[in-house]
Amino acid sequence: MEALRNAFDFSDSPRVDLVIAAMVAVALLLFPLFSPSSFAIATIIQFFIFALYGMGWNTIGGYGGQVDLGKAQYVGIGAYTTAVMLIRWDIPFWVSMPIGMFFSITWSFIIGYPLFRLKGHYFAIATIATSLVLKDLFEIWDFVGAARGLEISPIKYSPPDFLRLIFKQDIYYYYVIFGFFLLGILIINWFRRSRLGFQLRAIKDNEDVARSLGINVHLSKVKTYAIATAFVSMVGSFHACYIKNIEPEDTMSLDISILIALMAMLGGAGSLWGPIIGAGVLIPLKSYLKEWLGARGGLVGIDLIIYAAIIMVISAREPRGIWGIVERVRRRKRL
Amino acid sequence: MEILLSSLAAGLLIGMALALVALGLTIIFGVMDIVNFAHGEFLMIGMYTGLFTAQATGLDPLFTLPVAALVGFLLGGVCYYGFIRFLIRGPMVAQLLGTFGLMLFLRNLALLIFGSEDRALHHGLLVGRSIDVGMGVIIPATKLAAAVLAIFSFWAVWMLMNRTHVGKALTATALNPQGARYMGIPTEKMNALAWGIGGATVTIAGALLVNFWSVNPFVGLLFTMIAFTIVALGGFGSVRGAFFAALVVGLIMEFPGFWDFFSYTFDIQWMYDIPMTSFKYTWVYLAYFIIMVARPRGLFGWKH
Amino acid sequence: MPILDIRHLVKEYGGLRANDDISFTLEKGELLGVIGPNGAGKTTLFNCIAGLHPVTSGRIFFDGQDVTLKPAHEMARLGLARTFQVYTAAGDLTVVENIMVGCFLRTRSRKDARRRADGILYDLKLSDHADTLVSELPVPAQKQVTMATALGTAPRMLLLDEVAAGLNPSEIDDIMTSIRHIHNEMGITVMLIEHVMELVMNVCDRLVVLDYGHKIADGTPADIAANAEVIKAYLGERYVKEHAGELS
Repeated sequence: MEALRNAFDFSDSPRVDLVIAAMVAVALLLFPLFSPSSFAIATIIQFFIFALYGMGWNTIGGYGGQVDLGKAQYVGIGAYTTAVMLIRWDIPFWVSMPIGMFFSITWSFIIGYPLFRLKGHYFAIATIATSLVLKDLFEIWDFVGAARGLEISPIKYSPPDFLRLIFKQDIYYYYVIFGFFLLGILIINWFRRSRLGFQLRAIKDNEDVARSLGINVHLSKVKTYAIATAFVSMVGSFHACYIKNIEPEDTMSLDISILIALMAMLGGAGSLWGPIIGAGVLIPLKSYLKEWLGARGGLVGIDLIIYAAIIMVISAREPRGIWGIVERVRRRKRL
Repeated sequence: MEILLSSLAAGLLIGMALALVALGLTIIFGVMDIVNFAHGEFLMIGMYTGLFTAQATGLDPLFTLPVAALVGFLLGGVCYYGFIRFLIRGPMVAQLLGTFGLMLFLRNLALLIFGSEDRALHHGLLVGRSIDVGMGVIIPATKLAAAVLAIFSFWAVWMLMNRTHVGKALTATALNPQGARYMGIPTEKMNALAWGIGGATVTIAGALLVNFWSVNPFVGLLFTMIAFTIVALGGFGSVRGAFFAALVVGLIMEFPGFWDFFSYTFDIQWMYDIPMTSFKYTWVYLAYFIIMVARPRGLFGWKH
Repeated sequence: MPILDIRHLVKEYGGLRANDDISFTLEKGELLGVIGPNGAGKTTLFNCIAGLHPVTSGRIFFDGQDVTLKPAHEMARLGLARTFQVYTAAGDLTVVENIMVGCFLRTRSRKDARRRADGILYDLKLSDHADTLVSELPVPAQKQVTMATALGTAPRMLLLDEVAAGLNPSEIDDIMTSIRHIHNEMGITVMLIEHVMELVMNVCDRLVVLDYGHKIADGTPADIAANAEVIKAYLGERYVKEHAGELS
């Protein structure tokens, strides 16, 4: 009960933040009614997807300070569980998604126990390694389509199919993922104010101090890693139904893992709104840059060059991200 | 038996070349505790440099190594002064993502300039030649040359690090940057030098590799991961450790050969059925994971 | 029964003996000071007792229970808390949130943790600072927060590592008031490391002196002040010989 109340309790955020957040939420709710282009809708769906990935990453990476660069493996587990179950046994999304989360969390415990013996760079590289191993496995595993991947053919179903999450129009996907997005914010709000969230923030600060305050550092990290994993896996399942065509290369590649970390980093790791801001800036930027420069100008890669330049400037100039700038300005005003 | 011997030979040869790939990473890490995710992209640039200088001059890339070294040295220096210098003041998270940004930047710059196609060297002094050392082991001349030159470069850097004043200043900066500064060592220049040497060694390695390994803008990540594994195995910051670890990793990469040897020799049916060649690099990643968890300091580690 | 019983404790770091055969006991309700020159092994001793570093040999009993190799978080659960010399408080946690981290050891409920934290803030006269970021506090208040955070875990025994270092006399007075409050009103056994002699001599019931990893003295502050070996450790052998007349 108290957890539920905490999830809805935003009282420690300044009122202006909440007003802006509410306005953005209403705008997002009404946006599809103004018959926008399908490109715009697709971009915002991508924004929701990556904001959710980023929120998940933010629990362990932002609040906990453990730089995880292997989140794509859980996108893969979620997406493949849903796709395989739907294609082979016609199991609907709402059943396969929790099962995918269960698989992801189990896997996260299996690799989390050894992983969290490592720290810093070593940990980050090890997360990459585990993710790539899993990807290599999926690439030769015939049961899941090996390197060709899997395709969910919408012809077999009669859209709109709410059980299996098979739709013809993106607007349905828009509202489903919007629901997940709001739920995600509530979960993160609960997390950051929960016992585990406090413990994790203490761990990020100084592990010896955390230990002396009675925190089982290793266990707290593993638990939080599982929460982050559940988020990513859930959205991975959605991704399978939305994209309908999944391959190891584009669901589990390192680029996805990095992009996930980047959302939170750019927006501000360890803050409630950070990953959302990060995704809100990066995703539209990425898709419009690609549209304008990549596809139309024929300049392959230039979108990612600009993208990379932004990452470089942010990491060198403002490691606490956009939210870090906001907080600095606020503090200056207060003093 | 032939498979076993030729796998062994191939593993050791590629291992020697990989030692040079990892050398730069371990030097940079040793001197300033930063992990360079763009390391493989430096290698890619070395490969392109070797390829184009060879094509332009009609010489073998082996003769244009100094050009590659110069490009790498400048690249390392520019990256340090233009970017890394600002990055190292921030938290570790920012360092990781910053060098990752550098990796994306260089990779896509290469994509923009060179296109995505695979390029390989078809003509050269050694391309296509090989030496038959008997017992079924045939060693391609390009790989042999790469291994020999890699060892030579490795030795040169080792001498530089251990026998010269500059090298000792570098080591001092690695062990205790603040103390080194009090002793009058220009640590900022030492950091830049570490990046220069790191860049030069890896571009040389790239120019050596391009003789037998085709290059495209995406080739870097694989080598970054291989180099990480070598450095982790050898102990972060250890030059000598990197060499032996590279030989081990070279052998791990030839694992499919050993697998075949066992499946043929003992005629084990289930071993035939597993397409081990598609796992060629998986073993490298897996090795990293297992080594780090079992022995977080590496086999020859000296720095925390 | 003593609350803490240390028997022949040895701690080595790569061949270097930081603690060598240290034994002493601490009764419930005592206020013990551990003093000694820099590098005497005081912080090492704390780290071993608190379970942060495993001891090389010897035994530690806490409240009659053998806790020799118990990890730090279990020690905290058993009721042993410690503070740190350099406490780099979380930049994004406020004072009250910091203390809540400690309080969460005994409760899962956020509301409960908040209530406990508010109580401790009131006791240590920190209520005014409740919503300030710890990193923005002046150093003396930060020292008080480190104690408050440790108190959040509801300890039976508290280890304080140089809480008065770098403070001026009036700030030291405040710290002494807090330590007395913790000891007398809250009834917590306290063991502290300190260089500030004024604090040690005024506050502690008993002192243990370490030098080069050995325990060289154990007694009341008055005894220790007159102990020749202690004076030698602090002032050096030559000084003692040269000034032999004045000292005795």
